[in-house]
Amino acid sequence: MQCKDVELVLEQEGLEPLPEYARAHLAECRDCRNYVADLTSLVDAARKLPSEITPPERIWISLRAQLEAEGIIRTAAEIVPAEPAPWWQSIGAFFRNRVLATSTVGILIAAAAVFLIRSERLVEPLRPVAPPSLVEEVPGEFAGTVQALNDQEPVATGVILASTSPVDASLGDNLKKVNEFIADCERHLKEQPQDELTREYLSAAYQQKAELLSAIIERGRSVN
Amino acid sequence: MSLQMMEMVPDRPGTWAKRSFLPILSAGLFLWSAAPASAAGTGQSIEKQFKITGRPVVVIHNVANGRIEVKSWKNSEVDIIGTQSSNKVGFEIEQAGDRIDVTASILDPAAQPLELEANLQLTVPEETELQLKTETGLIYVEQVMGDMKLESYAGDVHLKEVSGYIIVKTTGGSLVCTQCAGKLDFSSIGGNAQLLQPQLNNVNLMTTTGNILFDGDFVRTGLYSMKSGKGLVEVRFSSTDSFDLKAQTATGTVDNQASAFLKPDSHGVKHSFSKFTHGLFGTVGMGLAKVELSSYSGTIRIMRRD
Repeated sequence: MQCKDVELVLEQEGLEPLPEYARAHLAECRDCRNYVADLTSLVDAARKLPSEITPPERIWISLRAQLEAEGIIRTAAEIVPAEPAPWWQSIGAFFRNRVLATSTVGILIAAAAVFLIRSERLVEPLRPVAPPSLVEEVPGEFAGTVQALNDQEPVATGVILASTSPVDASLGDNLKKVNEFIADCERHLKEQPQDELTREYLSAAYQQKAELLSAIIERGRSVN
Repeated sequence: MSLQMMEMVPDRPGTWAKRSFLPILSAGLFLWSAAPASAAGTGQSIEKQFKITGRPVVVIHNVANGRIEVKSWKNSEVDIIGTQSSNKVGFEIEQAGDRIDVTASILDPAAQPLELEANLQLTVPEETELQLKTETGLIYVEQVMGDMKLESYAGDVHLKEVSGYIIVKTTGGSLVCTQCAGKLDFSSIGGNAQLLQPQLNNVNLMTTTGNILFDGDFVRTGLYSMKSGKGLVEVRFSSTDSFDLKAQTATGTVDNQASAFLKPDSHGVKHSFSKFTHGLFGTVGMGLAKVELSSYSGTIRIMRRD
């Protein structure tokens, strides 16, 4: 028996059990023994891999932004309602996630601050307020992306508010920059919907924001 | 202060003992209280060398604060020196064949930023692949040939005389690339990019609010794309260069200071902008390389270097 015969046996019958004549060849042939050892370690490593790897959220957001920018998809993904559960279980599940809990506390603090500021302003005459950047104001093809980003942003903001790290402060600063840029592009695109250059910049900015939010949330998880 | 107060007290039995003992005790207490900070500030370092047989791949993940410096030598060895400001940061270094992994991790999440400084200094063979990731602190690479991916949140990236396929990704950090060759991809939100005396034949730069400076020659048949959302995009070319240029902006301006050298496109293709953008097309020399400059609301400046 020759080495190529052993390869053929392995290819057709797999690693175990090897026929007697193949084992006899292995006993004499170092190369084939090494080959079988390599195959065995590969199979063992493959068995240890998880059957399915969940890609990070930013991949989906980037993919959606790209597909929307290319006009391949135009509507937001349908949200499938989850099985109804008792309200106390939902609250318990929500607060099990420390990142969400932290962000909630952050949001509550921010809400309290806004409430106090608004209370102080009540004595002033009411003035028209500039409308915030809302999902319905962005170009239709980006609506799904914006919705996904808006869902993630409070979590990331909570992480930044709860952190004293200069890295988080820097990330927060860059989040502000990208948000301002997005708002600028959205405004422009609303006035000039056919402006392809602005559309390209907006699409790229959404992707950058998705990656940034993902990085902030990942950092929050690793610290917590 | 305590000593002065002691002198105001009238002499009593045991005063000498107090005078002698209390300063020593005070000094002792002072040193004792300062001891942890001193230990935290004291640099601890490790050094390891790894023999390699082929072209090594070095992977560094530094989640602490600090600088990563990579230089090259002729030896078939990778030398790693890690210094840390306290024992609240730990290094894990392992070798698997020609791959060397270095991870600097935080051992105590409650540690103060000053205690979390971890610097790495590497000396690698000239032909080495790098994959470096850090949160803050400078990444510095000099005279290394090989593909490299360098990522940082807040730290800058300085490259000198490197070549290969270079990918740099930062959030707020800036890139300075001096005498780099090969292909370069840079993306950032707030970071600037400076390419000085480059020999790059493929360049993709994208920053949202940062500035871009390209100061050097365009390699013939090279492809160059430089985009900034709000920042300045400045190109300083040589009179001997040969490239086709397209510069466009949505709401910004194009400052063409080299109009004497820019001719209409000589390749017979009629270019035009959409009604929403403005800019210019032109050719320098034979138009062998392709240069695309773009900014959403910033300035694009084109000028001759010599």
